[in-house]
Amino acid sequence: MSRIFLVLIFLILYAPIFFLVFYSFNSGGTMYGFKGFTLDWYKELFQDSRLLIIVLNTLVIALLSSLFATIIGIFGALGIHSMKKRQTKNTLLSLNNVLIVSPDVIIGASFLILFTMAGVKLGMFSVLLSHIAFSIPIVVLMVLPKLSEMSPTLIDAARDLGASRWNVLTKVVLPYITPGIFAGFFMALTYSLDDFAVTFFVTGNGFTTLSVEIYSLARRGISLNVNALSTLLFLFTLVLVVVYYFISQRNKPNGWGVKK
Amino acid sequence: MRKLVHFFLAIILVSAVLFYTVSELNNSEGYSGRNTLTIYNWGDYIDPQLIKRFEKENGIKVIYETFDSNEAMLTKIEQGGTTYDIAIPSEYMIDKMRKEHLLIPLDHSKLPNLHYIDKRFMDLPFDEDNKYSVPYFWGTVGIVYNPKMLGGKKITSWNDLWDPGLRNKILLIDGAREVMGMGLNSIGYSLNDTNHAHLQKAKRKLDTLTPNIKGIVGDESRLLLENEEASIGLVWSGVASEIMSENKNLEYAVPKEGSNLWFDNMVIPKTAKNKKAAHKFINFMLDPKIAAKNAEYVNYSTPNKKALSYMPKETVNDERFYPSPQLTEKLEVYQNLGKKNLAYYNELFLEFKMHRK
Repeated sequence: MSRIFLVLIFLILYAPIFFLVFYSFNSGGTMYGFKGFTLDWYKELFQDSRLLIIVLNTLVIALLSSLFATIIGIFGALGIHSMKKRQTKNTLLSLNNVLIVSPDVIIGASFLILFTMAGVKLGMFSVLLSHIAFSIPIVVLMVLPKLSEMSPTLIDAARDLGASRWNVLTKVVLPYITPGIFAGFFMALTYSLDDFAVTFFVTGNGFTTLSVEIYSLARRGISLNVNALSTLLFLFTLVLVVVYYFISQRNKPNGWGVKK
Repeated sequence: MRKLVHFFLAIILVSAVLFYTVSELNNSEGYSGRNTLTIYNWGDYIDPQLIKRFEKENGIKVIYETFDSNEAMLTKIEQGGTTYDIAIPSEYMIDKMRKEHLLIPLDHSKLPNLHYIDKRFMDLPFDEDNKYSVPYFWGTVGIVYNPKMLGGKKITSWNDLWDPGLRNKILLIDGAREVMGMGLNSIGYSLNDTNHAHLQKAKRKLDTLTPNIKGIVGDESRLLLENEEASIGLVWSGVASEIMSENKNLEYAVPKEGSNLWFDNMVIPKTAKNKKAAHKFINFMLDPKIAAKNAEYVNYSTPNKKALSYMPKETVNDERFYPSPQLTEKLEVYQNLGKKNLAYYNELFLEFKMHRK
């Protein structure tokens, strides 16, 4: 019974995506009435260099912002974890969580105000900065559980055996929390890829990302090459998930062993 | 640790490759040169071939960006972090931008093609003497209906909508000005009327329409009409032409009592970096042949009088989208009513929305 329920839920969740993928091959040109199979929309997509630039921009922003956010987030998590006083630790953690739950629209608007006051020109740099900023709390949240899972005696043992602070960090702590780091990175990546609300406020001067572009296209009815594009992006994220799965399989901590 | 470092290096490498591809693509498109023109327009609202042609003829590269609402555009321009050379807002927004000093006055000596614009569409209240703006496209507010679903019935006036036979069939736009305007027009008042007694009367008239209303909706009316889930809708003519190209059964009517006339105009925001190119582009778009080509692509009505002679007869003679001068006389552009009156419009519209059958 529960299995049927699960299958049903997944069908409902995936149906719109498959519907969209299906119509990306429609020669009819609309989202209703399938007329015949065609690859024209994909061809058109690859000839539209403006759209291609936007896709690549979106990917560069996603990769770079999640990379920086991961690096900063790791240190953030280490910092919060090392807090001795319980109260400070909880306060910091709550502040981190507030950033995750606060509405994107408000974050976006405040970035816009901040960049305006600081005189930062809107464009790639402003988008990158804001994506890094909203990804950091996510990374922190993904890394922290791994840190608290780690036994403190592990660090004590390493110190007793003569490891320096740097050695403890690079040879003991980081390898242990690697799965959390990857999880944080991939979460940040998906957040950045589909963020509309924040990006909408901080794009400008010829730099846009996909979500913003599709939104302004939607006003006049979406052409099927947007379907084609969405299909490709869906496949791309699917590949990412698979890659992530294999990485996390390989990184499964086996007992107490510490890996290089 | 080593694994992490490798992974991060790989990400940096991939980003670098992607970044390089982007800049190569930008270069091959010529986007990096100094002589560029940044245009901020509605999505899919220009024939892309015309942009290519403009680039070729003038050696100016065009960066094209899109917005989806006047308000979004205003935010970006107000904020000042952008460098748009041309924007294409609607009339009420032009009035607002002009008052907030966001626009640069146009140099009419650099726009020799301006005389091709139909006199009917010049010197309108939102921008007298066309000091800041030049018409790009225009249209009306009217009724899309499906004669097949209505048993061949024709709709020509606002008052036809009050027919008791149309119970639960009409979709209205969720806009106070549009709906109140319809009420005012149906009893012979101007849609810019601010007389409270007249407005009350219009609202009471609208209340009697309630049994015929199926819903008060936003953009989704387009799909409902296309898929024949509703048979009558109050829409803008631009939306109408799109829906009608998807569903051939539909008809569009500009009510004979009069209606709203809207405009999207080209303006130069104060953030413009390349005013010379902006004037060149506006003049280019005013060229009759270019305007005709653009109008055929976008499917909206062009204000360019000479352009009509380059367009197919059946488009130009289509009174649904190029109404006769007798009817255009009756069409009115929305005037800025001021905060107080607008609030009163909104209040009445809200009361109307809450009115029960």
